[in-house]
Amino acid sequence: MTRRAAPGLLAVAMLVSACGSGASGGPGAGGPGSDVLHLAYYGDQTTPDPDVFYDVEGLTTILPVYDNLIRYRQDSKDWQPDLATRWSRSDDGLSYTFTLRSGVVFDDGTPCDSRAVAAAFQRRTDVNSAPAYMLADVDHYETPDATTFIVRLRKPVSAFLDYMASSWGPKAVNPAVLTAHAGTDHAQTWLQTHSAGTGPYTLASFQRGRRYALLRNPRYFGPRPFFREVDIDIISDFSTQSQKLDRGDLDVILHAYPVAELDSAKANSALVERDFSSYLMQLLYFNPSRPAVATVAARHAIAEALDLPGVVSQVYGRLGTLATGAYPSGLLDPAAAPVRYTDDPAAARAALPGGLTLDFAYVSDESGVQRRAAEIMQQKAARAGITMTLREVQPAQTYDFVKDLAHAPDLLLATNTPDAANPDTWARILWGTGGGLNFFGYSNPAIDAALDSGLRTTDPAVQRAAYGQAGQLLAADWVLLPVANIRDWMVMRSDLTNVVHVPNYAWTLDVGRMGRG
Amino acid sequence: MRRVAAGRLGGAVLVLLSLVTIVFLLRMAVPADPVKVRLGAGASPQAVERERHRLGLDRSMPVQFAAYLGGVLHGDLGESLHTRRPVRDDIADFLPATLELAVTAGLLAVGGGMLMGVMGATARRGGGVLRLVFVAGASAPTFLVGLLLISLFYQRLGWLPATGRTSLPTAPGGPTGLLLVDSLLHGRLDAFTDAAAHLVLPAVCLALAPAAALGRVLRSSLLETYGADFVRTARAKGLHPRRILWRHALRASLSAPLTMLGLQVGLLLAGVVVVETVFAWPGLGLYTVQSIEAADFGSVAGVTLLLGTAYVLVNLGVDLAQSAADPRLRTV
Repeated sequence: MTRRAAPGLLAVAMLVSACGSGASGGPGAGGPGSDVLHLAYYGDQTTPDPDVFYDVEGLTTILPVYDNLIRYRQDSKDWQPDLATRWSRSDDGLSYTFTLRSGVVFDDGTPCDSRAVAAAFQRRTDVNSAPAYMLADVDHYETPDATTFIVRLRKPVSAFLDYMASSWGPKAVNPAVLTAHAGTDHAQTWLQTHSAGTGPYTLASFQRGRRYALLRNPRYFGPRPFFREVDIDIISDFSTQSQKLDRGDLDVILHAYPVAELDSAKANSALVERDFSSYLMQLLYFNPSRPAVATVAARHAIAEALDLPGVVSQVYGRLGTLATGAYPSGLLDPAAAPVRYTDDPAAARAALPGGLTLDFAYVSDESGVQRRAAEIMQQKAARAGITMTLREVQPAQTYDFVKDLAHAPDLLLATNTPDAANPDTWARILWGTGGGLNFFGYSNPAIDAALDSGLRTTDPAVQRAAYGQAGQLLAADWVLLPVANIRDWMVMRSDLTNVVHVPNYAWTLDVGRMGRG
Repeated sequence: MRRVAAGRLGGAVLVLLSLVTIVFLLRMAVPADPVKVRLGAGASPQAVERERHRLGLDRSMPVQFAAYLGGVLHGDLGESLHTRRPVRDDIADFLPATLELAVTAGLLAVGGGMLMGVMGATARRGGGVLRLVFVAGASAPTFLVGLLLISLFYQRLGWLPATGRTSLPTAPGGPTGLLLVDSLLHGRLDAFTDAAAHLVLPAVCLALAPAAALGRVLRSSLLETYGADFVRTARAKGLHPRRILWRHALRASLSAPLTMLGLQVGLLLAGVVVVETVFAWPGLGLYTVQSIEAADFGSVAGVTLLLGTAYVLVNLGVDLAQSAADPRLRTV
């Protein structure tokens, strides 16, 4: 009975899908001209506290509420004013002077002057959560007048201005709020459900598991945003998000829209797919502590067996391109640290005459893109006598591999994005000894030295050469393969206008500038 | 009876203690470093060690277990790595939504199961169709049923909302956290109807499997009872079939469905995870899924303990109810 019932139900489902009319996108809660923007996250963000938050999904709650000193321009890694209208660096690279916009106030009317900014920067160091590393080399701050803010460093940090523009970079947080709600944790508890910024929006509601609501900040110094309110629902299932988008109750699916389903989205005239340049990169890690992939020759041979050009084309189509450099495209000229992949299973078979059996892990993601890539790699590898056993791991599990490298997977497929549009924020975390995303504990003292020389110089030419050298050393080791440069694609209602995206701010749109036509 | 109750209670305590132990051991065995997850990729080794010490993770396993057990006994389930709040507070926030959903689904399951069982046993018209619908719903994967319901009633027909507990930003947020109850307490009929509308699809989706199971057991139990001497006697005395059913046969047939009901609570709680994910229902299921993805196993352990305790207590209640109803079962 039960075996007969399930196909029956599927038939009903197909019938419903076939005869329904909702796919044309009926009017939803948003509707034409609505001044409420409806977005969704797949899960709760850890906290809306800008000095603690260090994920990607959730930036849409942080960036419209808090201002950096400077920001990246649209589709660019160039800086533009945010709270600071001008900035300069001393010749020795130890001082940065910012001229702040005058007349800026926080959402409660408290002036946002240089002392407020200094207090906010100090809080980041005091809280000492992950993003605090960006201020680790600060010696002290100076505030000679209300609009001049000087940062004195102990050592030159060539990435410092990129830290300031980073999506996770230091933000202005209202010192009055920090004092009033300091508690014993620098107001972390209070900022878990409230905001204290200068941005175009304020956090009106933070209901975990349900909805976050941003309301227009009437005291914002910039142009008044079109949207009165931005609602962000927590909807962890893609299909549910998709149905809400179809019906108009959701305006944008910010990420993880399956590539294979983009065509069906295009069939709906009320929807449009947009893709933007980004620093997202798919990576293939080798675990050099495992005998099967311990040598450069073996790793090189495996890479030749995987047909990476074919995999990228099959998995991403026009939304991804084969990596040609060790850094995401746009971060550093690929020619400075080139990588080149070929499809040569015969050469791989010759290099590995006995074949191999590999434990291949891929990081789970909502769109299933990693699984698809892993499965194709598995098929390709089989041509060279390489057997891959696939397994999905949660992102959090990857941090544990380094504890027991001998029992960690042979390979790991994952996607990452740098903290800022600076090669140091990519290389140091991924390949530097002890780097947070260096999951297999790779260590190459020459790379560490190159990275340090790139970070501690004030000469852009030396920086480029140093990061190029680090990339070349990595490429020669075949231990972490940059596979694909990936575009940041979203599906949204076609009536949305002025859609602004910044490569460093992945899965995020500038909702303060967006409108509805 | 008192001795039986004491015996059952002692057994329940032992089960709960085992549950705490298993949850603790699983927590220790999880292949993810909670500290690195919490501090992120940029954290320095010093910061990682400091946090490990603060969380007590650098102590020996027996010491950690003793601390964990002591905390659990005092209602302290630790701190969530993901939300950075006490797990107890998180559970208090997410529990009402799950309670509301589970109780509604439970009532629907009992009502639907009774209807299916009675209609099936008494050969009423429509009983077969009802059984087909229930069994088909129960046979298909829960997520598929959920998506079907959304596709039909939200996307195609536009009759019911698909996600969340309410569309009203001003819906009452207390005092119980149960939106239906709070709406009534605040005299907000609009909030009540909105909350009820949001509840329909996830509750139906969750209720289908237990309803089908209950209905099938009740049907066979009723059919067996209808063949018993006392029912034949009642018929011979000329009692109305409805009276025979409700006053005699049904009462005598409830033992097996009651046992099944206790077991179905577990199924219901397991189904909550999937249903809450599909319908973006902000309850413990959604919280658990998010916690698993964030390797926040302290939170997962907290929810497991809570749901496990609920399951044990419900089955204890069923045991005691059956013992009270049937003296033959009063053996420890």
